[in-house]
Amino acid sequence: MISIKFRGIEKSFARRKILDCVDIELASGACLLLCGKNGSGKSTLLKILAGMERPDHAEIELGGKTYSWREAKKILLHKSIYLHQSPYLFEGSVWRNLDYPLSGARAARRSEIEYALEWADLAELADENVAHLSGGERQRVALARALLRKPQVMLLDEPTANMDTDSRQRTLSLLEQLKQEGIALVVVTHDPVHFIGKGEQRLMLQSGKLTTPEEPLVAGNISELKPVSKVGS
Amino acid sequence: MQLLFAADPELWGIIGISFKVSMSALLLALPIGLLIAFGLAYGNFIGRRFLITSFNTLLSFPAVVVGLTFYILLSRQGPLGEWRLLFTQPAMIIGQMALAIPILVAMGHSALQAIDRRAWETARTLGASLPRATMTIMREARFGLLAALLAAFGRIISEVGASMMLGGNILHYTRNIPTAIALETSKGEFAQGVALGLVLLLMAFTLNGMLQLVQGKGRLAA
Ligand SMILES: Nc1ncnc2c1ncn2[C@@H]1O[C@H](COP(=O)(O)OP(=O)(O)O)[C@@H](O)[C@H]1O
Ligand SMILES: [Mg+2]
Repeated sequence: MISIKFRGIEKSFARRKILDCVDIELASGACLLLCGKNGSGKSTLLKILAGMERPDHAEIELGGKTYSWREAKKILLHKSIYLHQSPYLFEGSVWRNLDYPLSGARAARRSEIEYALEWADLAELADENVAHLSGGERQRVALARALLRKPQVMLLDEPTANMDTDSRQRTLSLLEQLKQEGIALVVVTHDPVHFIGKGEQRLMLQSGKLTTPEEPLVAGNISELKPVSKVGS
Repeated sequence: MQLLFAADPELWGIIGISFKVSMSALLLALPIGLLIAFGLAYGNFIGRRFLITSFNTLLSFPAVVVGLTFYILLSRQGPLGEWRLLFTQPAMIIGQMALAIPILVAMGHSALQAIDRRAWETARTLGASLPRATMTIMREARFGLLAALLAAFGRIISEVGASMMLGGNILHYTRNIPTAIALETSKGEFAQGVALGLVLLLMAFTLNGMLQLVQGKGRLAA
């Protein structure tokens, strides 16, 4: 079980404040759905949560202890994983990509990779060069690769954007499994309606503030979610 | 021509010196050049732009001027005169390093720059340590980096200015292909000059062929 509290995250680029005192809490098995306009800072927030981007200010609490960014960065990089909207796969085969986060004996790595290939329905593509994969397949390779890292927190940047219905369904069911395994998820999505019905908490990033949209989510009003109250205040 | 080579071990000696000196210079320049290229591509510090422009300017620096600079530094009265390096192979190596580094930096930087930033982020988030993430990026950029290496070698193996001034063209020690050509030609012995010239030409041809191949592969993989 993991619980990480971030308080007062601030981040500016070129004096423009992207994140203004954002509070957010990550916990095992919880899934946060994050939406917001293009350029509102969603990716930046996720990268900070992953320990990849340095915030101008943040208090990070883990297991009742508060950490400085220097210390927290190590822990965050270790425990969490960030998935780009369009994943970056290293040149070479699917197998090589899945092997990347693994260490240890060859035989052990092999069986882990085989399990992950099966899990993401990629067994036939193991030796395929990643240059030949479709968008959906690339996303599944990235998910399987992330899973092999055994993260406790997964930060997914629009994992189902630009996907056909079939690919999206596969990805969604993989995410559901991750959640059930107790991984804390944050998912950036413009279509929260696809994720509905699993007890997710919805958040919205607007003008640097994180808010909770109040209206119930139906297909019609996704684009007009209104912020109402500030989370954690 | 075949006869000429068979008959003349001196030629082979000269070719050997050329390779020994230029290979050493390349190997020593490589880590320095790559490190700077990396810093320029991924670093975030004041003066980065200026440094990039500087190295691009150094690319077209005449070899004689590099030779002159180090000649002054290494000469008896110069600040590094105590090293007693002038007219030795190490002096030639230093001069050639100075010629190779800007090429490695400028071409290496643009090769690394061409790699998506997500590659670095992905490596890090997948748990790669800083050295491992660095190796990963270098592997992704390997074709561009290899092209930089070949181009740097092509430049230093054939340059005459720095070798002449810093090496002094001493037979069996610092006489390499380019300085030998210059000497033989000035003596009117064209046969040797032409033979060595052909060796350089052949090498230039091979290097360029490899460069084409490498760059073609790079495009294919991208
Ligand atoms: N490394 C950076 N340097 C400068 N500006 C950046 C950087 N990363 C993001 N930004 C800016 O911050 C804003 C938020 O970006 P981002 O977090 O990618 O938004 P979103 O993911 O919500 O579309 C954008 O205006 C973007 O241009
Ligand atoms: Mg984004």
